[in-house]
Amino acid sequence: MSHTPPASNREYHRQIADSLADSFLRRTLDKFAVEYRASRDKVFSEVAERELIGRIAEVKDSAAKHIEDLYARFKQEAERRGAVVHRAADAAEACAIIAQIAAENGVKRVVKSKSMTAEEVGLNAHLKKNGIDICETDLGEWIVQLRGEGPSHMVLPAIHLSRDQVADEFEKATGEKQDHEDVQRLVKVARRELKPKFHEADMGLSGANFCIAETGTLAIVTNEGNGRLVNTLPRVHVALAGLDKLVPTIDDALTALQVLPRNATSQRITAYTTFIGGAGPCAKSPTGRKILHIVLLDNGRTKLAADPLFSQVFRCVRCGACANVCPVFRMVGGHRMGHIYVGAIGLVLTYLFHDRKIAKTLCQNCIGCGSCKAVCSGGIDLPALIGEIRARFSREDGAPLPARLASVAMKNRTVFHTLLKFMRFSQRPVAGTDGFVRHLPMALFGKHGFKSLPALAPKSFREQWPTLERRPAQPKMKIALFAGCAQDFVYPQHLKAAMKVFAAAGVEVVFPMTQTCCGLPLSMLGETATAKEVARQNIAAFAGDCECIVTLCASCASHLKHGYVRLLGAEAEAFAAKVIDFSSFVHDKLGRDVLRLQPRPEKVAYHASCHLCRELGVKEAPRELIRRAAEYVPSKEEESCCGFGGTFSAKFPEISAELMRKKLENVTASGATRLVLDCPGCAMQLAGGADRQKLNLRVTHIAELLADALAIGLE
Amino acid sequence: MDTEKFIERAQAVAARVSRAADEEAVAHLIAEDQTRFGAENVGVVRAACGIAETGTCVVITDDEETRLKTMLPEVSVIVLRADDIVPNLADTAAFLRERQSGDRISYTSFITGPSRTADIERVSAIGVHGPLDLHIILLEG
Repeated sequence: MSHTPPASNREYHRQIADSLADSFLRRTLDKFAVEYRASRDKVFSEVAERELIGRIAEVKDSAAKHIEDLYARFKQEAERRGAVVHRAADAAEACAIIAQIAAENGVKRVVKSKSMTAEEVGLNAHLKKNGIDICETDLGEWIVQLRGEGPSHMVLPAIHLSRDQVADEFEKATGEKQDHEDVQRLVKVARRELKPKFHEADMGLSGANFCIAETGTLAIVTNEGNGRLVNTLPRVHVALAGLDKLVPTIDDALTALQVLPRNATSQRITAYTTFIGGAGPCAKSPTGRKILHIVLLDNGRTKLAADPLFSQVFRCVRCGACANVCPVFRMVGGHRMGHIYVGAIGLVLTYLFHDRKIAKTLCQNCIGCGSCKAVCSGGIDLPALIGEIRARFSREDGAPLPARLASVAMKNRTVFHTLLKFMRFSQRPVAGTDGFVRHLPMALFGKHGFKSLPALAPKSFREQWPTLERRPAQPKMKIALFAGCAQDFVYPQHLKAAMKVFAAAGVEVVFPMTQTCCGLPLSMLGETATAKEVARQNIAAFAGDCECIVTLCASCASHLKHGYVRLLGAEAEAFAAKVIDFSSFVHDKLGRDVLRLQPRPEKVAYHASCHLCRELGVKEAPRELIRRAAEYVPSKEEESCCGFGGTFSAKFPEISAELMRKKLENVTASGATRLVLDCPGCAMQLAGGADRQKLNLRVTHIAELLADALAIGLE
Repeated sequence: MDTEKFIERAQAVAARVSRAADEEAVAHLIAEDQTRFGAENVGVVRAACGIAETGTCVVITDDEETRLKTMLPEVSVIVLRADDIVPNLADTAAFLRERQSGDRISYTSFITGPSRTADIERVSAIGVHGPLDLHIILLEG
């Protein structure tokens, strides 16, 4: 796998195809994804995870606000301890400063420990151009350096390579035959080859994890022990770090140090955490003191610090967790999931620090599952930042045609719904009687043929509404139902099943006819103005009196509840407070005695929709309901994304198909004959996939399971 | 309790832990290592404190020679007084602050187990650029 950024969308899809075909990469990343989750959970169970993450966010947000004060304090404190602190405005200046330090000190050979900031500024290439020999000493970095690549992960730079490939590189580097099986031996080769380099080097180059302002101290986190050799043995030490690494106090660094190693490698702490407070004694230096230079890089960071949304990137501690849990990273690897920085933060930083054109392509490759946000060391809302970047591209470059069309159509509900009815008419020749598009040759679908496509229902829910029973004799409560487009027009049976459940529990339902699309697809496409407009239309539609606004679509629920407040602020708060997803409503608001269920002799698996389990944090309610209605059989990775991701499955069908395959494999292995979920998007993906693969698996909404299990006649 | 936790956590990251009742026992344990591995392959330092939560030894390494003793030899021996073990990482803040007060120059090393990597196929390997073996001698009493 070479590491050339994609020059075009077409090129990017070709690269993705290569990654997907790389069986070693797929095996490695699959194993990593599963093992990382388990070990991370274990090591975080010992600390107050959310509280620590909250504190990191607070400290870093405040650091962003006081960046100039922190810089001044750090410089003063470090310099009174014999260091020289430089500030580099951009990548070129950082390279020039370091080359200058090398020249002034007659440096010929440099040993380097891991620094993403050095990757960011392209330091190695610059020093090489100046005739300086620079050697990476972190094992993974050394391997990718030998191959002429960049790291494919911020913490595990060579995760994309097999031991066999590593042995090949070591054979080239040493001219000796190497063991291709024994990893321990390969590690010893690195130890032996690199040891003399530390002793011969004139300069050690490192990054820094924290620059502590109160004492001018560098805190550096490593495992291999190369970092300490790099900053100890040579007479010159240059540390390069972004301005975002500044923290006010020692305590702040210690707080973040409780999260960084746990999130990065599931370690409580790394083997070495080093606090360098100034230029100490150094035998090799002519003055007897270490020549210590600290280069703090701006490269757009001060501008970011002032940005109301993007200042969040200051919270990043480069732990790499956003890649570790990303379903897309798992499929394609880091070289396709970032330019220099990797993972969700890589997509964002490519846009902020690097090439706009590359970012425009890469930023499309986020499925929006929210896994990264849920584990981020600083609680960065990464999907929102990626969404905003897409929106900016739409505004600045003009939106692509599908987004513009969607925007025009959805702005006016009548036009939008008329369009859907027209589509229903025109699909008649191809629609089967079982809810799938049947009468088309699959070859027409190309890469999109991995699942059967749903047909629009012959009669939408809103068309059936007048005939439905919606007011029980003595209503216990009154709710308003938000249908969402997919359930209104494709899966009205979900809503009709819910109506049975509501009726059985004595709940009166109103259905405001002027409700429209929630607007989430518009937000995803970057059509913010239209997204706001439809949000206002829905708020107006639901102005009437009701206790809750219930929706059966997890994505709509999360957008109505959180997205509207993000878009409209206080204007949406009263509306948002009433919004509740179906499972939570049934579980939390209707008691066991109100809704009686008769467990069915049926093995039922659960797919936790991204928007429900992460965006809304609803985890127990649906599982508890399944237990009440049937035999719940847990399956592996219930909370992994199904691969739908709204427009994602159309943009990246090759990735979407693989995510779906994995999901169905896990569900089938559980022995379930029914799979229930809380989201029509996931239903389209997984019902379509199960149909295509001819699995003995019914995919239904959880409301349909409950309706089937209603204990009618028990009273 | 901190001592037991310290031992468990240090062993979890592949450190060897021995308990010594007095300085004489410490000297004996060191001599054993020197005989077994060769004196030139064993570096001995004293820890300022330990952290139970993580199994970490905190070593004052301002001076280059002490620092190199924890890096270059294949066997690193750290002597830690059991009384100097604190419960958590955050408890080292006052110690670190005191070490860096005024214009004092310092280099403090938090050492947790021998050096390690998982950079090739995520296979855990002990002993990359630093020691292959970390022996912590806990001085009790």
